[in-house]
Amino acid sequence: MEDLHKSTLESQEVGWDGGRVVAAAKAFFRRSAFLSNYLIAFLLILVLNFTLPRLMPGDPFQAIYGEEALLAMTPQLKAQLVERLALDQSMGQQFLAYILALAGGDLGHSYYYNQPVLSVILDFLPWTLLLTGSALVLSTLLGLFLGIESGFRRGRHLDKTLLASLMFLNGFPDFFMGIVLLLIFGVVWGLIPLSGALTPYSGLVGLPLAIDILHHLIAPLAALVLVRVTSAYLLTRNTMITTLKENFILAARAKGCSEGKIKYRHAGRNSLLPVVTATGLSIPQMITGALFVEIVFSYPGVGLLLYNSLLTRDYPLIQGILLMVTVVVLAANLLVDLLYSRLDPRVSHAR
Amino acid sequence: MHVSVWREVARSNAGKAGLLLIGAMVLLAIFAPLLTPYGPRENTTTPAFSRPSGDHWLGTNDARQDIWTQLLYGARTSLSVAFGVALLSGFISVLIGGTAAIFGGLYDRFWMRVVDATIAIPDVIVIILVAAYLRPNVFFMILLLSALSWPGGARVIRAQTLTLKERMHVSAARTFGAGPSHLLLRHIIPDLGPILVATMIQDARRAVFMEAGLSFLGISDPSVMSWGKMMQYARVFTYLEVWKWWLLPTGIALSITLIGLSFIGFALESALDPRLREREVGHDGGI
Repeated sequence: MEDLHKSTLESQEVGWDGGRVVAAAKAFFRRSAFLSNYLIAFLLILVLNFTLPRLMPGDPFQAIYGEEALLAMTPQLKAQLVERLALDQSMGQQFLAYILALAGGDLGHSYYYNQPVLSVILDFLPWTLLLTGSALVLSTLLGLFLGIESGFRRGRHLDKTLLASLMFLNGFPDFFMGIVLLLIFGVVWGLIPLSGALTPYSGLVGLPLAIDILHHLIAPLAALVLVRVTSAYLLTRNTMITTLKENFILAARAKGCSEGKIKYRHAGRNSLLPVVTATGLSIPQMITGALFVEIVFSYPGVGLLLYNSLLTRDYPLIQGILLMVTVVVLAANLLVDLLYSRLDPRVSHAR
Repeated sequence: MHVSVWREVARSNAGKAGLLLIGAMVLLAIFAPLLTPYGPRENTTTPAFSRPSGDHWLGTNDARQDIWTQLLYGARTSLSVAFGVALLSGFISVLIGGTAAIFGGLYDRFWMRVVDATIAIPDVIVIILVAAYLRPNVFFMILLLSALSWPGGARVIRAQTLTLKERMHVSAARTFGAGPSHLLLRHIIPDLGPILVATMIQDARRAVFMEAGLSFLGISDPSVMSWGKMMQYARVFTYLEVWKWWLLPTGIALSITLIGLSFIGFALESALDPRLREREVGHDGGI
């Protein structure tokens, strides 16, 4: 009797050997189907990058490089670039040339900086990574903490205040939050630097340098965190509210667990997984938020670079930045997807 | 049963606040020409950078234009984009999500693959890229934003339609010989109401944000009056005192619109999620 019971249970899980093979094959197809979403998305950006300048009326060369660049260009250079972009050949060959150049790490040439696009972007990228990374970590931790405290006290004064004020903050667009912080702390009180990521030519090293960097980072970081903390907070709060109704919380209470332990060990822990996932999925928004905030604070990251390239109409640079950001975003999302199915056994079985 | 959702939104504090804010903003936008004697691009005789006064409630900008007037006309742009995107994207969501759920099979799988792939695209980046070349006006902006925002809604609508499809009255209609279009129009769409509105409000919120963001980056149609553009111009003059009546009110107007929409959305979502409904605090089980 017991044996029979056990075997039916097992067969539901993985089944006999043949079933296991089928399941593995299915899992493989599912995995590849979901990988292909990212591939399709990436291809679409490539195609857009390729076709948009060529769809513009007039000389595609002008659209690719922008009018300003043409003024400073010698005929020899132009001929050389036409050959490199294969502009005198068919569309198919042009696309092939474009893909091959990309595969070789050639994102084009920025006429404004007179450098390869890739090396310009790499100069600016570290500051964006610093800003985005710290904002992600900080807003998640803060959201978890506030969400747990708030959900635990649902309907009470602290909960209501937190909910209303965080919902209110979330309504601000990041760049306006940045402007407000810049005006109050920078322009009126003079507490924070108005631009840059570190004091130029200060010759600082070690700890003073770290403090200087932090001093420049704090306002843009605060702007991002204040606006973005709400999603982690709301998710944690919702999970807390539903988890606190579960029987195991009652059991924990019955056996005399302290409030703090119930809050963090029993209930709070359950919101960790959804929040971590949501954090991963919010990476694109965080990056785009950072792009805007950087502009406000003249923080020398990719966002400021994008803004300047839009102003100077440095089209190769615009394209390069957007392609680069796409790659980062897609890679981050893919990683989260893979990690998530590892972390949560229910997902890899149920999907 | 579905009537109570609307009532609950109107009764909740967040819902009330949101409706109030958006209602006020819509009124300001509609009656803009009556609320100001100037045109949005009219160069008045008042000197540039004047302080707020009886003639100019928010002073004038660097080109002697009335800032209050520009604010009102900016509301028109923001709200038309929001409204347009909500309608168009909501329409596509229902069309694709609803039919995918009803027909099922290969058709369903095809559209869900399209939805999955489109959701994987970082939309802000695509929008910036396209806008950098094409400098979209209001109409084109609506098309562009809708093209990227319908998949989320379609997925939600599909899931909801799948559950509605199994309801008793729908099966009853089917046994009486109702076709797919009749089922969708008469039995399913009316019941989709609250969820559809929730996704539309989310789309509208994103649309307002993106329109302001693109104008702030300087890549929207230069002839359209917009809050984002006002902030882009005003930001240059932070060393003067003008930010107090130029930059701040514009940002606040934008934030009020966004906050209003997210309050309504939040109220709707908590009314839709039975687990979060305020009424049943403490007790679950029972009815």
